[in-house]
Amino acid sequence: MKRARSRHARRSGVGAAIWMLAAAAMLLAVSGCSREGDGLGLPKGSSVLRLADADDVPTLDPAVGYDTLSWSFEQEIFDTLVRYGDADIELHPDIALSWQSSPDATVFTFHLRKDARFSNGHPVTARDFRYEIERVLSPATRSKGIEYFRSIAGAGDFIAGRTRHVAGIIIPDPYTLVFHLTAPDPLFAHKLAVPFAAAVPRDAVERWGRDFSRHVVGSGPFMLKQWIGGERIVLVKNPWYFVKGLPRIDAIVDQIGVGPELGWLKFEAGQIDILGGIPPAEFPYVMRTPRLRRLTLSQTTISTMYLGMNCQMAPFNDVRVRRAFNYAVNKQKLIAVLNGRGVVARGVMPPNLPGYDPNLRGYAYDPARARRLLEEAKIGPDFHPTLWLRADPTTVILAESIQQDLELVGIHLDLKPVAWGPLLEAIRQPRNVELFLSGWEADFPDPENFLGVLLSKQQWGGNNDTFYSNPRVDELLAQAAPMTNLKKRYALYDQAEKIIVADAPWVFLFHPVSYVIRQPWVHGLVLNPMRPTRFERVWLSPHHE
Amino acid sequence: MLAYLARRIVFGAAVLLGTSLITFSIAFLIPADPAVAMAGAKANPQTLAMIRHQLGLDQPVYIQYAHYLDRALHGDLGRSYIRRESVTHLIVSRFPATAILALSAMALALMLGIAMGLVAAAWRGRALDNVLLVGSLAMVSMPIFWLGTMLLIAVAAVSRTFPLGGYSGFKSLILPTVTLALGSAGYYSRVLHANLSQALDQDYIRAARGKGLSNARVLMKHAMANAMLPLVTLAGLDLASMLSGVVLTETVFNWPGIGRLAFEAVFNLDIPLIMGTVLFSAFLIVIANLLVDILYVWLDPRIRLGEMG
Repeated sequence: MKRARSRHARRSGVGAAIWMLAAAAMLLAVSGCSREGDGLGLPKGSSVLRLADADDVPTLDPAVGYDTLSWSFEQEIFDTLVRYGDADIELHPDIALSWQSSPDATVFTFHLRKDARFSNGHPVTARDFRYEIERVLSPATRSKGIEYFRSIAGAGDFIAGRTRHVAGIIIPDPYTLVFHLTAPDPLFAHKLAVPFAAAVPRDAVERWGRDFSRHVVGSGPFMLKQWIGGERIVLVKNPWYFVKGLPRIDAIVDQIGVGPELGWLKFEAGQIDILGGIPPAEFPYVMRTPRLRRLTLSQTTISTMYLGMNCQMAPFNDVRVRRAFNYAVNKQKLIAVLNGRGVVARGVMPPNLPGYDPNLRGYAYDPARARRLLEEAKIGPDFHPTLWLRADPTTVILAESIQQDLELVGIHLDLKPVAWGPLLEAIRQPRNVELFLSGWEADFPDPENFLGVLLSKQQWGGNNDTFYSNPRVDELLAQAAPMTNLKKRYALYDQAEKIIVADAPWVFLFHPVSYVIRQPWVHGLVLNPMRPTRFERVWLSPHHE
Repeated sequence: MLAYLARRIVFGAAVLLGTSLITFSIAFLIPADPAVAMAGAKANPQTLAMIRHQLGLDQPVYIQYAHYLDRALHGDLGRSYIRRESVTHLIVSRFPATAILALSAMALALMLGIAMGLVAAAWRGRALDNVLLVGSLAMVSMPIFWLGTMLLIAVAAVSRTFPLGGYSGFKSLILPTVTLALGSAGYYSRVLHANLSQALDQDYIRAARGKGLSNARVLMKHAMANAMLPLVTLAGLDLASMLSGVVLTETVFNWPGIGRLAFEAVFNLDIPLIMGTVLFSAFLIVIANLLVDILYVWLDPRIRLGEMG
C-alpha cells in the first residue's frame, strides 16, 4: 500500500512538474530578455543614424576584412593615407596632406598631417602605417590583402621572416613615409586607399591579439562602442577626429540579421533611416510611387557581371561558339529581370571606369546569327552544357533567363547552383567547369584591375577562370601596366579590350546599378561607385520616429 | 542506477565521437578549399599555399582529425574562417538568446498543448473536440516562415503592438515564441488527446469513477498520470532540438541565436563553425536523451533499468 501511494505520488507529480518547468522557463525568459531593454547610453537628443544589414560584419580588423560590409565600417573607424571622395573615385588626402611619386612610379613619398590622433588620444605617425602594412604581409595574419603590398621592396624577405621590417618602407621622420617598389606601379597610391593600409596603433593590437577586431582603435570619424554578435554594432563620434565639425551625427546603430523583407517593414515603420537592399518584390512599387521614388538614390557600380566560358574546353575553344553565346543571350531581358537595376555590358570595363571606351559595340541580341555560328561550328542538339552559378535567388533567376535564351538557339543548358566557396574552387581548376556565372568589382579605378587581373595568361589558376590566352593581349597588358602617361596607358588597354571582346571569352552581361532608399529626414547621403557609402557628412533633420 | 548512468554516458560519448568523425569527413569531402574561404576570390596561388600550410591542411587527414579532437576535448572548436573568432566563443555568445527563445516556446507549447489536449479529451466526441482537432491540425500545418511573416506584418507593422524583430526586451520575445510554440502545441495536444482517450477506457478509470470521483478528478489525477509519459519524451527531444537552434524563427525575427549562426556558417562554408554548431547540437541531444531516460525511470519504476540499457 505504501509503495503504491509512492508511485501514484510520483506519477501525479508529472503534470505539476511540467507546469513548474513551464512557469520557470517563462520567468527565465523574462529575466533573460530584460538585459536587452537598455538604451545605448547616449545623451538624450543624440542624432543616431539607424541602419540594417542581413549579415553580421565578418570583422572590423582592417588587416583581415575584404568585403563590402567590413569595409563599410572599417572606413568609418580607420584612416588611410589617401582616400576616395564620398561620391567620386579620385584620390584625396586623408592622413597624408600631400604625396609625390617618382617619374618611373617606383618611389612614393607621403607627408602626414600632425594633428591626427587615434580614439585613445595617441598621435598617428608613419610607424602606425608601416606597422599595419607589415601586419598584412605577415603570414601569421593570413590577410587577404597580402597581394596589395608584395611589390614593396623587401616584402619577400619580410614574408619569409628574414627581416624584422620591410626594407622598402622608409620613415625619415615620424610624419614622412617613403615606399620603394621593386617595379613601376602607377596604381600604388590607390593600394594605400584600401583599409588594409589603415593606420593602426601597435599597442592596441598587441593588447588584444586575435580579438583586436572586437576592440578596434582607429583615427577615423567614428569609434566602436558596442558590437553584440548577430544583433547590433554601435559606432559613436570619435572626439579626436581631425576634421572639425565631422561627423555630423553622434552615432550609427546597425541592426544585424535584418533581411530585405524585414528591413522593408522597418523602413516603412520609420525604424531604420537608410535601407540598402530594397526587396525585389517591393522595388517596382517603390519606383512607381513618387513619394518613395524621390527617396531613392542610385549609382552604377564599377563592376561587371559575366558568363565565363572555359576557352580550353571544347567546344568553347572555338571562338564561333563563344560569339554565338554572346549573340544568343538577351542582356536587356536580364536588366528587366532585375527591375532595371543594371546597364547592358558591351565589353569588360564598366562605363564609369577611367579608360572606358563608349564606342565599343559589343554583341547585340541576335539569335539568328547565333544559330548560324553554331551551325558553322557543327554544334548539334545533343550539346548540353552545364552552367555553374552561385546558389542565391537573384543569380538563379538570371541563369534561368539565360537558359531560356539559349533554348531558343537550340542549346539546352543545365544549371548547377552551388555555394560561393565551392564555385570559386571549381572554376579555378583547369578543364573543370565549361560555363559559369560570375562578376568582378573593382578594387582600383583602372583598366588593369579588370583586364590584367581577369584575362592575362599570368592569372591562370588565379583569377583568369576562363583560361583565356592571347599573346597579343598579354603583350599589350604588359606594356600598359607600368605606364604613367594615362592617355597612352588607356589607349593600350583599349586595344587589348577590343581584342578580348572579339575573342569573347565571356558573355558580357551587365554592370549592376545599386539603389538605396533613405528617410526624408536623412541629408547629405551620396553613393560611391566603387566603395561603401560614408556617413560622416550625413545629417538628420528633426523628425518623429 | 550508477551503472546505468555510466552506460548512457559512454553511449553518449560514442555518439559525439561519431558525429565529430562524420562532420570532419564531410568537411573533407565537399569541394571547397578552406584557404579560398579565408583568402577570398582574389588571392593568388602562393597565398593559398601559405594559408594551407599554416592551417595544417598539408598534413595527413588522420593527424588533422586527431588535432581537432584534442582541441575539442579542451573546449576549443577552432576559429571561424570568415570571422576569425573562436567558434566556442561564438556558440557560447549566441546560446543565451536561443535558450531563452527555446525555453519560452517550450513553456508555451506545453501549457497550450496540455490545456487543449485535456479539454478535447474531457469533451470527447463533441463539437469542442472537433474544433480543437481542426485547430491543432492547423497549428501543426502552418509553416513557421509563413506564420512568422504574417505575425510581423499583421501585429507588428500594422498595429505596432510589438517590435519588428530583434532581441530587445520581453515584448520582442512574444512573437517568435508564439511562432515557434504553436506547431509543437498542436502536436502535443493531439498526442495527449490520444493517450487520454486510451486511458479513459481503462478499467482503473472505471473503478475510480465507481468510487464516486468527479470527472475532472478522474481526468487530472488518474488518466493524466499515464497519458503524460510519452509527452515527456517528446518534449525533451523537442527542447534539445530547439536549443540547438531554430533557423527559420531566428531568421524571420532577426533573433541572434545559434540557428542563424549555423545558417550563416553553411552559407559561407565556414567549416569550423559548421562543425562546431553540429557538434554542439549533437551534445545537446545526447544530454536531452540522457535526461529523458533518467526522468522516465524516475517517473515509472515499472521500467527496469536493465531493460533500458
